[in-house]
Order: sequence, then structure tokens, then C-alpha cells
Amino acid sequence: MRFSWPSPRHLFLAPLALIMAAPLIWMAITSIETPDQARQFPPVLIPHGIDWHNYTRAVDSAPFGAWYLNSIVVSLVVVLSNLVLCSLAAYAFARIRFFGANVLFIALLATLMVPFQVILIPTFLIVRHLGLIDNVSALIVPNLVNAFGIFMLRQFFRTLPIELEEAARIDGCSRLGVLIKIVLPLSVPALSTLALIMLLWTWNDFLWPLVAINTEKHMTLQVGLSTFQGQHQTQWTVLMAGNVLALLPLVIAFLLTQRSFVRSIAASGVKG
Amino acid sequence: MRLLRSDHVTGWLLVAPATLVLVAFGLIPIAWSAVLSFQHNDLLSAPHWVGTANYQALRHDPVFRKSVHNTVVYTVLFVPISIAAALAVAVALNTRIRGISIYRTAVFIPVAVSTVATAIIFNWVFDPTYGIANWLLNELGISSQGFFQDPDQALYAIVAMTVWGWIGFDVIIYLAALQGIPQELLEAAAIDGAGRWATFRSVTLPLLSPATLFLVVWSTINALQLFDEIYNTTRGGPLQSTTVVVYYLWQQAFQFFNAGYGAAVAEVLLVAILVVTLLQFLISRRSVYYTS
Amino acid sequence: MATVEFRAVTKRFDDVVAVNDLSLRIADGEFMVLVGPSGCGKTTALRMVAGLAQPTAGEILIGDRVVNADSPGRRDIAMVFQNYALYPHMTVERNIGFGLRQRRMPRAEVQARVREVSTLLGLEDLLRRKPAQLSGGQRQRVAMGRALARHPQAFLLDEPLSNLDAKLRTQLRAELKKIHQLVPTTSIYVTHDQVEAMTLGDRIAVMSAGRIQQLGPPQEVYDRPANLFVAGFIGNPAMNLLPAAARSGVLTSGDLRMPSPDGADGEVILGVRPERLSAAGDGDARPAFDITVDVVEPLGSEIVVHGSRVDSGAGAESATITARLAVGAMPAAGERLRLAFDPAATHVFDAATGAALRSG
Repeated sequence: MRFSWPSPRHLFLAPLALIMAAPLIWMAITSIETPDQARQFPPVLIPHGIDWHNYTRAVDSAPFGAWYLNSIVVSLVVVLSNLVLCSLAAYAFARIRFFGANVLFIALLATLMVPFQVILIPTFLIVRHLGLIDNVSALIVPNLVNAFGIFMLRQFFRTLPIELEEAARIDGCSRLGVLIKIVLPLSVPALSTLALIMLLWTWNDFLWPLVAINTEKHMTLQVGLSTFQGQHQTQWTVLMAGNVLALLPLVIAFLLTQRSFVRSIAASGVKG
Repeated sequence: MRLLRSDHVTGWLLVAPATLVLVAFGLIPIAWSAVLSFQHNDLLSAPHWVGTANYQALRHDPVFRKSVHNTVVYTVLFVPISIAAALAVAVALNTRIRGISIYRTAVFIPVAVSTVATAIIFNWVFDPTYGIANWLLNELGISSQGFFQDPDQALYAIVAMTVWGWIGFDVIIYLAALQGIPQELLEAAAIDGAGRWATFRSVTLPLLSPATLFLVVWSTINALQLFDEIYNTTRGGPLQSTTVVVYYLWQQAFQFFNAGYGAAVAEVLLVAILVVTLLQFLISRRSVYYTS
Repeated sequence: MATVEFRAVTKRFDDVVAVNDLSLRIADGEFMVLVGPSGCGKTTALRMVAGLAQPTAGEILIGDRVVNADSPGRRDIAMVFQNYALYPHMTVERNIGFGLRQRRMPRAEVQARVREVSTLLGLEDLLRRKPAQLSGGQRQRVAMGRALARHPQAFLLDEPLSNLDAKLRTQLRAELKKIHQLVPTTSIYVTHDQVEAMTLGDRIAVMSAGRIQQLGPPQEVYDRPANLFVAGFIGNPAMNLLPAAARSGVLTSGDLRMPSPDGADGEVILGVRPERLSAAGDGDARPAFDITVDVVEPLGSEIVVHGSRVDSGAGAESATITARLAVGAMPAAGERLRLAFDPAATHVFDAATGAALRSG
């Protein structure tokens, strides 16, 4: 093999990658330093040995387990319910001509035009009226369906050859049977994109859980982490350990599934 | 016509659950928010009508003005910086050199990091006494800065932090768009004698315009809604230098219990978002090209 | 198996009439071909039998039952689609058995049916494959198999061969015919290809503008087209149509003269099939006309000559003439050629109504 000069792009990309990675790397380094090492300037960039105490202190001082569980439950239920309910509605809008379909579709899409921040206060009042404030279900019920999912799946369903559905109806399937046995198995790419997007939105959601939950053990990871920061102002090593614990699952999931993760985001063009 | 009638029934049965949720937690709150903005509501006692008093008060509220100003400055900086940077990074990453997957991973990874975690990390990075940001500046011969603690710098530090958090998403969109450009077009431009820069300006950039439009609209909407990163870093300070509109909305409704006043802020925000989005679509009509 | 009947069926899409007052009875076991150009209403008619489209007026019967209100699944019919519509996520075996499982047939019976049709169609080795792993011809066979396995009241076939290349199409056409002889199920076959119509149909219905132009056995439709549309549509190359005038028993077209059929008077169209034309010999007593040869296509078994009439007074329609001639002397382009025909083998149509006055 002949020697070839590395591409000049490295001169731009290597410092860039370092800048992008530096905050995360420094978080990880700080999380295994002793408080003394963290309180030095210039900073200690290579710690002397590994100190796991920050992690035990973080876990001991805050209900990370409950926060994880709440985040998992909320995300799981929201993702599943969106997959099911958006599929049903999207199929009807894609293939069935029923009375009022167009008007209803536009009305539901209108909810996408209005950001959540704008309806935060009335949503709070409605959820409080339902008696759900400070209850994990307050984080689930308003998010059971997102109009984005209906819109995205409808567009996808319309690209499937309609003859398949006609053949299935001749073979004796009902509308629901066609959806379950023919359309959904062929829509796995769109469904997994929707699942990932809803997962990112729900897992990282902050404003609504902040408003809807007061009790520490009912919090999700994001709100919990925020309170954790409030309780450990300037205890940087513990704070970084808690932060590592909180962001690790999604970062690991990202590293493991980077290709499909990136493809899904590119396909949907949305991050919350 | 029994079959037709049954289609009406089936259709409505399928959309009913989704409709129920979206009416209860989408359409009703949209209408209610407008109603609230004409009421006094402290979230506890019965609300009463105050006409346009909330809007009148907004006009003379210096903190609201400050929050609008901060939001506009933030948006005007964040949107072009993040998109231009993402474009440059995407073009650099759109190649098959050795190590490219490491570079890509480094750029994409903040997409998987929540806004709260990002804020906590940058509180530490920008710590005026021990943070690595100041260490880096010192190494470059620049004196230490206050960042989040300096009223003149806090908003810019917020811009830097959110660009870090968002650029990966923008790059993903741009990379997908770059890979969608037909190779023949670039080859045709080369045969026509266009240099690299000319090809980029007259072929690549126009073909990326749908992605650019999407990112401009999406980034603007998100910039106008900024909250998480403020709440978890500066809490609107110092000296209200980072109080943005949604933060003020939240403060009014959930700290000061002026829900009616907060709703008026929300309505102003909604109108601003709709107008800005509409303008962006109108302006882009001439400059966005769709292939196929 | 059952009869299928259209009773005064009309289908309107907004203000377009796709099928206009169609009445047609397809006998038990009959192979009926609906043939016509695109937009003639043949596919819409088929989809109404399937239940995929609803008639605007009229009734559709399968057996003795009016099925207008029945969903497609309850009509007990099977359909083969132009693009086959094989379920991409299912194996061949599951594709063929899908309709049976939907009807809750016991598993052993489903397997027996799948085995039966896969033997008949030579699909035994493909049962574990998915549609994407099949060639076009194999997909077509699976689509047929899926329909056959159902043992339905009727088969509906919508241009099932048109996505195949010419050679495969000829081969599968013959197979279709063989299958229908083995399993004589009532079949409605929609095509725009008149060769498929001629070769497959027990009877063919030539359609245009939402109406049946002619209904009958293929040979009868070929030999005695009921009107100008059918005459022009059935037969390849198409029938030559010469503007002519009939006056007191004599029919003239340019310098061509022949006896006129009874009842013909005034402007008429004289139709002669290309294979009925032959080169006129010296002193040939048959009626004849001259052409200038434009293009010669030697096909091995015969020669197809395209030319233009040179007679004065010939109208626009007579501008081009096609003749299928026996192999022999090869005319050259630009050459003048005299073509003669037997007056008994001609068709005469009313120029105004298009109706046949005589079919030879």
C-alpha cells in the first residue's frame, strides 16, 4: 500500500469532535474525581484513580430508582398508546371515506400548530380537574395521542399499494383485519420511527412534568435530576455522577442503534 | 348503500379514541387558553372576567418587554448560527475518510442528551472558578469570564450551550439531504466546468433548500419556546438578562399564580409563532427548490 | 360455482359515467372476457362484482343472490390483480392459505388445499419463499394459486398477464386456459389485449364508453363485428376501412366497384381484413385497388405490407392499408401494388351510425 496524506478535513473535524465530546468527557471525569480534585484551577483533567463514592452518594441521597421507574412507565405507555391509537386513526384517514373525515383531520392537525407551552395553563387546569395532579398518570393521559403520529402514519399508509388491502378484503378481512394483518406488518419502519420520536419526546420532556408533579418520588428522571441539582448546588462531583446515571441509558441506546436512530430522525425530521 | 354506511361507522370508531384525547388535551386547551387570557385566575379562587386588562398590563410590563427582547435576541442568534454551523459540519462529514464514524458519533451524541442534563453539564463547564471553558480561554491567552453569572454574557452562553445540544439534529437532517442529491447533477456541473465552490453555491445549496427551510422553521419555533435550559441554568437571571417569554409565562402562572396573565403571554407567543412561521414560508416560496 | 349477473348496472364517478346500464349474464363455469380500450368501464365492472366499487344503480347477482350490500369478503369470489397484490411479508404458502385461514378453515384442510394448488401450478419448491424472491412469472402463478385455493364462486381476473414479457405472457395464457379446462370455475377476465380475449374467452364482451358493443363467442365477434368500433378493435393488424358509397346495388370506393349488399344506400364504410387481401393477378376478376407500398415487414410465415391508396377520391380513412400476404415476391417500398379481395369476405357498415349492414 502506498502512503497517502490524510484528508485535510481532519484539521476541521478533529477539533470539532473534541469540542462536541469535551463537555461529556469532562462530566464523566468529574464524576469519578474527589471533591478536592474538582475544586482546583487549572482543572485536574486526568484524575488520580477512580472514586466511585460520588455515585453511591448520588443514589443514596435521591430516589433515582423511582425516577427511572416513572420515566420508563410513562415512556412505555405513551409510546405504545401512540402506536396503537395513531395507527387506528391514521388508517381511517388514509383509506376510509367517512362523514366529516376531512374537517376532523384538519382540526386534529391544528393541534400541531400550537406549541405545548401555549396550552400549558389550561392543560394544567384540565388535569387538575381530573384529579391527576402529582400523579404519574398526569404525565400519560394528555400524551396518549399526538397528532404528529397520525399525520406521519397516514402519509406512510398511503404509500402502500391499495391492491394488497383490496386482496385482503376479498380474502375475507374486515377493515380492522386489513390494518392488523396487512398494513401494520408492512409499516414497521414508520412505526419504529414514531416509537423512537415519541420515546425521545417523552423521556426528555421537562416543562409538563415540572408543572404536573410535586412529590419527589412521583417525578420523572428529568424533573428529578433538576431537583437533584437544586439540592447539590456546587457539589459538582456528585452532581455529575447523578447526571451520568440519568443520561446513560439513552446515550447507550443511541450508541448501540446509531444507524437506525439517525435514519429515524432524518425520516421524521423532528426532535422535541 | 349499507356498505357505505358501515364505512362511516368504521371510520368514526377508528378515529374516536384519538379524537377524544386530542379534543380534550389539544382543542379544548387551545380555546380555553384564549378565554383565560381575558380572565383573572389565580389557580385557586373562581376566575372572573377582566376584559383586555391582561393585555393592557402586558404593554406596560417592563419584565415582559425584557423577555420579548431576550427571546428575539436569542432566536436571531441561535437560528442562523446553529444552521450555518450544521451546514458546514454536514458538508465536512459527508465523506468516507478514515475515522468518519467517530466524528459523526461525536457530533450526533448530544441529540440523545436531555435538555436538563445538558444544562447541568454546562453549569459546570461554564463555572467561572473551576470550569474548563475558562481554562481553555486562559490557555488561549484570554482572561476568565463570568458566563452564566455575568448579565452581559449569560444569554450568549445560553446560545452556545443550545447550539451544542441542537447541532447534531440539524446535521442529521442536512446529511440526509446531502446524500439525497443525485450524483449525476454534481457530475453534470463538473462537466459544465463549475468549480467546487460554484457547484456548492449553484447546485448543492439550492437542492438543500427544503432541508434549510425545515430547519429554519423548526429551529425558530423551538427558539421561541426556550424554557428547559433557562430553568436549569440561570432561572432567568442574572438581572433578568435571560428571562425569555416562556420562562416568564411559567413564572406568572406557577410562581406568582397569575394564570390569566400567563395565558395572555401565551396568546402573544402563539400569534408570534404563527406569524413568523407564515412569513418564513412566504419568503421561502421563491428560494426553495423541490426535486422530483 | 355460480352464475354472475349484471342487471342494468350503472356506475358514475362524479359526472363521469364509467359503466352505463350494463346487463350481462355469465353462465355457470363460463369464461367471460371483458375487452376494450382503457377507460371503457371493464375494470369498474369487475370491481363492482368484487365489491370494491358500489354500483350507482342496478343490481349485481352471484348465483341467485343480490350481493350489492355484501362486503367483498362475503361474496365468496377470488380476484387476481394486475400487480398480483401478493402480501410481501408472507411466504408463498401463507399467501395462498391466507383467504382460507381468514374463513377459519381447519389447518389440515388449508395445508391440503395449498398442496393441491401448488402441485397444479408447479409451486412446490417455492412455498417457503417470500414474493420478493420470485420472478414475475412465479408471482403470477402464486396469485393464481391464491385464487384457486379458495374454490370460489367465481374468479375475477384484472389484466393478470399485462405485467409480463411477451414470451411469458403467451406461455401463461395457455396455462390459464388449461387450468380453466381442469377447474371450470365461472371466470370474468378483464383485458385490453384482444389476442388474450380471442384465445381465452368462451364469450367476449367488447366494451366502449361504459357499454357493451358486442357480446358473443370470439370467432363470431371476429367474423361478424356488429359495428365499426368492434371491427376496428378486434383483429391485429386492424381491419382496413374504406369510405365508399352505395347506389342502386353498386358499391364504389374510388375506382373500386363491387356489388352492394341489400339495404345499403348512401355513405358506407367497406371493411376488409388484412388477411383477405392478396396481390391481384393479371386479368383478376375480383374487385381490387392500388396502393403505394410504404413499409414491408417480412415475418417469416407471411409478409405484412403497409401502404397508401393511390385512387383519386379516396378519403382520409383509406389513406393507410395493411395487407397480410403470402411469402413470395417481396414488394419494395415505393412500389405500386394492386390488391384484390373476395367481395363475399367483406364487411359493410353504415357510415353515419357505424352499425354493420353486412358481415362477410
